[in-house]
Amino acid sequence: MANAFVAAFEILSFGAIIVLIVLGLGIIASMMGIFNFAQGEFVLLGAYITYLAYAKGLPIWAGMVAAPFVVGALGFVLEALIIRRFYAAPIVAMLGTYALGLIIREAVRGLIGGFYLTVPEPIGGSIDFGTIHISAWRFTIIVITLLVMAGCYLLLSRTSFGLRMRATLENPALARASGISTPLMYGATFAFGSALAGLAGALIVPVFSLYADLGLRFLIQGFVAVMVGGVGSFIGPVAGAGVIGTLSAALPWVMAPVVADVLVFVLAIVFIKFRPQGLIAGKGV
Amino acid sequence: MPKSMSVVREAIAGDEADDAMAERVATGQARDQVKAGRKVLPIVEGVVLIAALVAPLVLQDYLTVFATRVIILALFALSFDLVWGYAGIMSFGQALFFGSAGYGVALLARDLDITNIFLVLPAGTLIGLAFALLLGGFLLLGRHPSSVIFVSLGTLTGSYAADRLARGWYYLGGQNGIPSIAPMSLGGYEFTEGPAFYYLVLGILVVVYLLCRFLVRSQFGLALAGLRENEQRIAFFGYKAQHLKAIIFAIGGAIAGLAGSLYAFHEGFVWPNMVGVVVSTQVVLYVLFGGSGTLIGAVIGTVIVEGVSFWLSDNYRDIWPIILGLLLLLVILFRPLGLISFVLGERERVGSFGAARKEKRNAP
Repeated sequence: MANAFVAAFEILSFGAIIVLIVLGLGIIASMMGIFNFAQGEFVLLGAYITYLAYAKGLPIWAGMVAAPFVVGALGFVLEALIIRRFYAAPIVAMLGTYALGLIIREAVRGLIGGFYLTVPEPIGGSIDFGTIHISAWRFTIIVITLLVMAGCYLLLSRTSFGLRMRATLENPALARASGISTPLMYGATFAFGSALAGLAGALIVPVFSLYADLGLRFLIQGFVAVMVGGVGSFIGPVAGAGVIGTLSAALPWVMAPVVADVLVFVLAIVFIKFRPQGLIAGKGV
Repeated sequence: MPKSMSVVREAIAGDEADDAMAERVATGQARDQVKAGRKVLPIVEGVVLIAALVAPLVLQDYLTVFATRVIILALFALSFDLVWGYAGIMSFGQALFFGSAGYGVALLARDLDITNIFLVLPAGTLIGLAFALLLGGFLLLGRHPSSVIFVSLGTLTGSYAADRLARGWYYLGGQNGIPSIAPMSLGGYEFTEGPAFYYLVLGILVVVYLLCRFLVRSQFGLALAGLRENEQRIAFFGYKAQHLKAIIFAIGGAIAGLAGSLYAFHEGFVWPNMVGVVVSTQVVLYVLFGGSGTLIGAVIGTVIVEGVSFWLSDNYRDIWPIILGLLLLLVILFRPLGLISFVLGERERVGSFGAARKEKRNAP
């Protein structure tokens, strides 16, 4: 019983982490049609900023708050300078963002060396349920993920900003004719997606520690999750991330981890092959 | 009804992408018209071949070993250029075929003591071919044509999954891979690093290059170029676009497998990175750098990237990947046709085809 509870918590907490990482990726892929290969490096940057704050003696939460803003601002600049040129051709966008990611990753590698740097959890200790102990920080991540998800949903579905964003996605020409500045909306969307990646990096760095290939580890899982969920909506990628995260965390409990690792990808690709529109088809929120 | 609508929309979207591409190449076109009379490609190919032939005579021994590695990687780059540069299939997992063939021949040498060159090279080629047929058949064939995004992410995922499998599977040596593979042999002779191995792989590269050149200049190559430019139109002409793609993908896989088996014997070991995302993206870099859609561009790109990286690795090891990323970004933004486009005109890059060779191409 206790074991089952711990397993469930582990699965839930890993699922939450994947959802957090995929949120930004999914928003950029759904709203802009770009599969951003640099997203993993935005996660890495968020983690690095948190580490910097910690190393400079600032409170860790200060770094965690700053990370999404800094990474979001960087995303806005990159969109205006580079990403904007790629909208016509999705494959070229992949290659271009891959090059961007390479630059960021190697720059961070140069800064931190080949080390694994640990950042302590801002909320340490554990939460006890009788004889069961679960990590307080992982629990906090689950709570924050839920809050961020709800916030994103409300932002996209209930605010005028979200409405403009969706209008730009649905019909750019009509949106422009209605007086919406579509380049600004694309810039804002990309910045928003980057900021979410920065936040994800900041929150997970105490769990996974900081190393240069941190982002790469999640990138492919993230892409697979977006495709399983379905590109085009906000809910799709989140649902996909839930499924992929849960499967990747749950399967190793019932079979050899190596087999489980590969099986998740095989299952996902087969699923997408026979249902290209993903779990949740359709556009909008 | 909605299905046909989406087809039309895709066709339009394809045209928009074409226009964007056309705009990019338009800048080079004025220069092309001046150059139209001259043939640059055979000259470039000849220069590269002569340089490759004399290289071991002027290079020191350890550089010949390095040059051999570069030639093998150039062969690998050729396989990616066929798939992406000619058929427009983005294979982000080309290393899957390269590495699995490497693992395959390493296992042959380790467990069955088979190192005969006439057995291991065909075996490696077949392994690459088989994996490419499996993965390509699954990703490309089927009732509905797959999107380019799905194919590129599918190949990427395949390569990543293979990497994870190789890392975790004890039989394949886990993290360490398979070390100290016995050298390739022919009768009593053993191919160890050095000039003999160099000329062997150079000979193989030249043969494969000529075969590829023949292939892309045939009617089949014309259909492939059509696929790359506008798949919808090729399908409307009655070609089985998906079959063409699967065939060229399998051929690419076979060449990658050949390169992978040579690489395994040359290095003497195989390790999980060889099937993984790192090598997969590296080959993309080579080809984009040199210029995709021109076979020689893939070779030149490999030589330049590997050469500069080797040259800089002593003093600037840490910043070289950053420079590489920046250069790649610049090439993608400003030279989408690669470095070769500095000397090679657009008209010659597209080339002339099969029976239509004698006829004049449409006036620009």
